[in-house]
Parts: sequence; C-alpha cells; structure tokens
Amino acid sequence: MQSAFTHLRRLLLASAACVLGAAALTFIVDPLQLFRPSRLVPAFYSEDTRVQNAGLIRSQPFDTAFMGTSLAIHFRQSDIDRMLGVRSLKLAMTGSNSRQQAFVLEQAIDRGARRVIWEMDDFIYIDAADIEADPYLSVDLYRRTTKGIASYLFSAAMAKESVFALVRSVPLLRELLTRASPYLPVKFALSDIDDIYALPRDFDVARDYNTRKTLAAFTYITDPVRRRFLGEGYSYEAMVRHFEQDAVGLIARHPDVTFDIYFPPYSILQFVAMRDASPETLKIVTALTAHIARRLTQMPNVRLHDFRAVAAVTHDLNNYSDVIHHSPVVDAMVLKWLASGEHRVDPKAPLASLNELKAQVEAYRLER
Amino acid sequence: MLFNSYPFILLFLPVVLAGYFRLGRRSNLAPVVWLALASITFYAIGSWHFVALLLLSIAFNYGVGHLLIVAELTHPQRKAALALGLVGDLLMLGIFKYAGFVAENVNALLGTHVALHILLPVGISFYTFTQIAFLVDAYRGQVAAYALPHYALFVTYFPHLIAGPILHHKDMIPQFEHEETKRPDGHLMLCGVIIFAIGLFKKTCLADGIQPLVALAFEARSPSFDQAWLGALAYTFQLYFDFSGYSDMAIGISLMFGIFLPVNFNSPYKATSIVEFWRRWHMTLSQFLRDYLYIPLGGNRRGRVLRYVNLLITMLLGGLWHGAAWTFVIWGALHGAYLCVNHAFNALVPNVPPLLARPGRLLGAVLTFLAVVIAWVFFRAESVAWALRVLHAMAAPSNLVLGREEIAALVQVAIYAALVWLAPNTQALMEYDHGNREVGEALRAGRTRPLVLYAASLLLAFGFLGIQSHSEFIYFRF
Repeated sequence: MQSAFTHLRRLLLASAACVLGAAALTFIVDPLQLFRPSRLVPAFYSEDTRVQNAGLIRSQPFDTAFMGTSLAIHFRQSDIDRMLGVRSLKLAMTGSNSRQQAFVLEQAIDRGARRVIWEMDDFIYIDAADIEADPYLSVDLYRRTTKGIASYLFSAAMAKESVFALVRSVPLLRELLTRASPYLPVKFALSDIDDIYALPRDFDVARDYNTRKTLAAFTYITDPVRRRFLGEGYSYEAMVRHFEQDAVGLIARHPDVTFDIYFPPYSILQFVAMRDASPETLKIVTALTAHIARRLTQMPNVRLHDFRAVAAVTHDLNNYSDVIHHSPVVDAMVLKWLASGEHRVDPKAPLASLNELKAQVEAYRLER
Repeated sequence: MLFNSYPFILLFLPVVLAGYFRLGRRSNLAPVVWLALASITFYAIGSWHFVALLLLSIAFNYGVGHLLIVAELTHPQRKAALALGLVGDLLMLGIFKYAGFVAENVNALLGTHVALHILLPVGISFYTFTQIAFLVDAYRGQVAAYALPHYALFVTYFPHLIAGPILHHKDMIPQFEHEETKRPDGHLMLCGVIIFAIGLFKKTCLADGIQPLVALAFEARSPSFDQAWLGALAYTFQLYFDFSGYSDMAIGISLMFGIFLPVNFNSPYKATSIVEFWRRWHMTLSQFLRDYLYIPLGGNRRGRVLRYVNLLITMLLGGLWHGAAWTFVIWGALHGAYLCVNHAFNALVPNVPPLLARPGRLLGAVLTFLAVVIAWVFFRAESVAWALRVLHAMAAPSNLVLGREEIAALVQVAIYAALVWLAPNTQALMEYDHGNREVGEALRAGRTRPLVLYAASLLLAFGFLGIQSHSEFIYFRF
C-alpha cells in the first residue's frame, strides 16, 4: 500500500516536472517568436494568422501594416514592399471582423507601423463577439498578459512545435525537414514569411480562377434555399456603429499614421446576386459604403480607394474563384493602383465611384 | 463541468476525494451522501437550470421503483406501475429531446409554423436509460430495495452522469454499499490516475488535435475526393478518441473512489464484422439496447425475418437516441441494415475454410471499417443533404486536390490509423477487469518497469497541457 502511494506521488511529481519542462522548452524555442526573434532555431511561420500575428508584430521589422480578410490574404509582402516602397507586415486574417482587424492594427501601430494599408469589406462590420471575449483571437496573447503567456507556454501544441523545431534545427535533418514541414502535421511549417497564405509561384491561376467557378458560386448563393444567407448579419445601424467604433475610432486615435483604405474589386456578380436575390442587403451595402466613403474622405490621414467599379476587372469573370475572391493577377493590379492613386476617391465627390457601381449593377445582365 | 478543465482537475476532484475518504472514516453512509451532493454540484456547474429536472426524474423513478419492489401490488397493478414509470420517462425524454424534431416534421408536412425552442438537458438520455433499466428490472423482480442516497448516487454519480457509460444498478449499488470502497486504496488510486491520464491525453491531444481536419469534409461547400475522405476519417478517429477518452477518464476517476465502472470501448475499429463492432463500440449502450429493447421485441426467437425486423427497429431507435434528426435515423438504419447483412451472411456461410479464415478476417475488417466510416458521415453532417454531398465527393476520385494541406492531413490521419489499429487499448494496458474487480495486477506485483510510470506521467502532463479553454465532449450533445 505504502509503495502504491509512493508510486502515485512520483507519478504526479514527474507530471508536474514534465509540465514545467515543456513550458521552459516553449519559452526557449519560442516558435511563435513572441518573446524574441528566432535565433536558437531557424524561424518558421504558421498560417494560423490570428495566433501568428501576435508573434509577427513583436518579432518583425516593419513600417507598414497590411490588413484585410481573405480578399487580401494571398498578397506577398515582398510584392507590397517592391510596389509601394515600404517595409510591410501582412496581417490579413481570413473571415476576420472589424473588431479583430482594428485590435491587431492597434497592436501593430503601437509597435511602429506608420502606414496602414487596409482592404475593407462591408461585411467585416456585422455583429460579432466583443474583442475582449473573442474566442478566436486571444487579446491576452497579443498583450502578453500573464494569462496570455501562460496559455502559450503551458500548451501541448506549442510544446510539440518546439520539439519539432529543435529536431528540425539539427544540421543533419535541417534540409530534409525544412522541405517536408509544409506536408507534415505541424503548425509552424513555412520557412519564408513571404509564403504565409501566398499562392505558390507556379500556381495554375486559370484552373482555380475562371468563369465556370464564378458562375457556379453565383448559382449557389442565389439558390432560393440559400439566398437568405446573403443578408445574414446585415443591419445598417449596427454596421455603422461598428464602423465608427472600430475603424473611425482607430484612425482618429492615430493622426500620425497614414491609412490607405480600399474597397476591393469584387466581381460584379456579388452585387448582382444581392440585386436579384436580396435587394434589401444591396440597399444596406450601398448605404453603408456611402457612409464610410463620406466619413473617411473627411479624415486628414486617410486616402480612400474604391476599386469596385473597375469594370475591366470586375466584369471579367475569369479573374475570380467565386463572386468575391480575385486572382493574384488582380492583387498585382491593386498594388499598382494603390501606388499610382488611380481610383482614389475624391473627397469632393466621395460617392462618385459608388454611383458608377450602382449604375453598372443596375445595367448588368448575366449571359450564361 | 468538464473533466478536461483545470477547475475539475485541480480543485473539484481533489476536494471530493478528500471529503469522501475523510467521511469514510466515520460512517458508511456519509460518503455516499457526500458523493451524491458533489455529483449534483458537478452537474449544476454549467447546467444548473436542469438540476430540478434531474432531481424530479430521480424522485419519480425511485417512487415508482419503490412501488414495484416494496409495495405488495397485484400483477395488473405492477404492470400499471411499470407503464406509468416508462411513460413518465419517455414523455420527459420526448418533450425535451424530440418535441422540436416532431414539430419541425409536422410543419414540413402540414405547412404549419409551430416553433418549439426547448433546450436539451445535458445527460438526459443517459440518466433516463439508466433508470428505465432499473424500473424494468424492478418489475421483473430482479431488484432489491435500495436506500434513496444509494439510488440517487447511482443515477447522478458524476464520472458517468453526462456521457455514460450507461450503468446498471446491480453492478453499481452494491459497490456503493461496500465499506472497503470508503477507504483510500493506493493501488486503485494509482491505476485510476494512470487510466485518467490516458483518457485525458486521448481527449485533449488526440481528439482535439485532429478535430480541425473534420472541417475539410463537413464545412466545405464542395469538398474534393481526398478532402471528403480525409474529413470523414478524421471524424471517425476524433469521435473514437473523444468518447473513449471520456470513458477512460470516467473509469479512472471512479477507480480513485474504489468503484469499478464497466468498460465502454474495446478497440472497435479492429472489429472484423459489424456484429463484432457493436460488441466493441459504446458497449454499455449496446448491452442496454439488447437487454431492454431487442430481446423484449422477440430478439432472434421468432424466425429469421422477425429477427431482422427487430434488429432494424433496435438500431433505428438507437440512432434516434443519439439525436432528434433524420441524420441519426439514417445512421441507425444503416447500422441496422449492416447487421442484417452480417447475420444473413453468417447464415449463408456458417463455416469459412481455414485457408480463407485469415484473409477473410482482414477483408471483413476493411469492409467493416469502411461501412462504419460511411455511416459516420450521416452521424456528423448537419443535414441529410450535406451528408449526401460529402458521400458524393467520396465517390468521385477524379476530383482530387492533394495540395499541401491535404498531404499534411493525410500524414496525420495515417498516424491516427496506426494508433487505432496497432496500439493496445486502455484496459489491455492496465489489465482492467471490471467483472473480477481487478486492475494493474502487474503493477501491484512490482512486475511493471518504472519506465511505465514515467510514460504515464508524460501522458498526464501532455493531457494537462492539451487542455483548451473549452472543448466539450461530442457525446455531451446526446
């Protein structure tokens, strides 16, 4: 009996030692680069952007923060730097809302960003959890509170990543495991920060972005069974409130930071879908973006760009994989337009491009 | 409250254990009352608004049971008392679990718009079935009179309350009555902690670790062939590690109190036939359905055709027990059909030549596993249409993506498959023998190497480190 209790005590003590050892290992290896840029082992990056951004903001040198949703996720930092002459940090997060984007941008600004490039969708302003209670983005991790650090250090997933990072740093295995990492079930698999969510250099654009896929997506979202989802979460008052709190609040708090904000070039079918299947939603979207355009163009540190009415792009359905997501070819055009100021909204006529878009939507007839 | 949470592991469990053994020094009844109160507290944390319903259910069934056991009723009166008990239980289950489903179908059929929003009380399916078995056995005269605290503890006993195993009063109440269980047994504690560690590791590291891959099939609008298969396989392994992890934790916790719970899983994916699968998967539910549904329906005593009909009815109701949705009905119907085919095959080919026995078993294992995976698609999908979409993708090999994400997922699924098929299960590792009330005999005899203890401590540590902020068990929904 005595021996069993001794064994039990040993087991519990050994477990406690393992827990502390794992936390120490994560602290030393620091796969997220939350405490310091990676030196002990080569740096690797994860596509779990809501977590990875917390480390990037603290470990990378940058003067420009690039924010957005999945519409901005495939950009390469190197392209942004080359085209705009900046040192950028891409912080776009798929499916993110305005609370998450504003919070992450605030952190980036606090760490030195003097310019923000913000891909702004209307749907980021729908109702969502308050950032302090957001289950998908840990504010404690970004703020490095005791709770945030503890959840990072006392984590089996991070301990596993740390062990793998150590094994990968062994000279004999380095090359093999670096190449194999993206194909293994590890989070920190990318050796080049430029590759986070970027499409491969040899990516077959025509296979994934084409008229067939775009039309299929259009048919899917306008199906009578699913069309109610088009307007899910859309409420003009709530969206304006979130815009004021998240976007205007952030911009006003940082008058020394320049904000280049752009409405992305969705395919015309995004608006045609609303026109045909959910006209109320279209009304909210146009009213909301009119409000946004009027407000932002009055702010001295904002340059607003509206690409939604660039018919040469938005009417060519080969540029899209569904009704909103455009190809990397369009990514390059967006950077070019941002650099040249083409399609910048004139503060004296903030609704000009929106009115042009409305006319296009009204006139558009889908030919199959 | 969740087993895989810091408050449970660091506070609730140590406090309840300490109180149980401290009170055990003074009396045999006080620890039972303490444990019952602790169990109700455990239930109340997170589900406080259903505590009254749980207590009402206990009082109702205990009262009806008392009538059947103690009161001297005539045969028709006993029958009426049993009917009252069963109708009461099924009515409660029907209202809380199936009313919304019925209203939905009535609306669809009649074009009406009746809306019912009834929250599902956690664990209702488990504690209702436990008590139905008690009433039926009481009617059959197979139950001795139990004291209320023991009965209440039997129903609420926190290791099993929310997601089983489904307990049998004849197995549990005598254990609660034993005086020895009130004294701390170092060996049972040690084995309990090890089994708990294995379960915790299964849940937090394995089940939660593979969970993101499930989205490949079940959250994509149009998954490809490889995505659909990877998602379906990921769910197959997630469900197993999640539920068997929970069962291991329940067994481990209970062992710390000196109570042996029945085994619920026995490497089900190693089964070589569907009949065998159901002897290995959620074993306490299978036993319940066999003893209280299939056999009373007539079982296999009324000819082959009726046997198949009984099997189908049993599995359909088994499916519906899991959830009020057509997906669960189809899942149950599929398994019913599988069982019929299996029995028909056994009747047609009673003896396999010895030369073909081994390849036959291998083929049987592969077919069984595939059949189970296909049925899980309905079990997991949000709707029948969604399940059909996933199955359609699983049958279209020309639509292949096999990108970086899919290859990484494939590697992970392969690792899990190796674990499931090659690793021994918890009871084999720990020599857990529920019937003989034995566990870890090699450990007791000092035949186990110290390395085993350190491996267990590693599992406990990683299980603990794997705890996420809130990760419920899948079977909590049933």
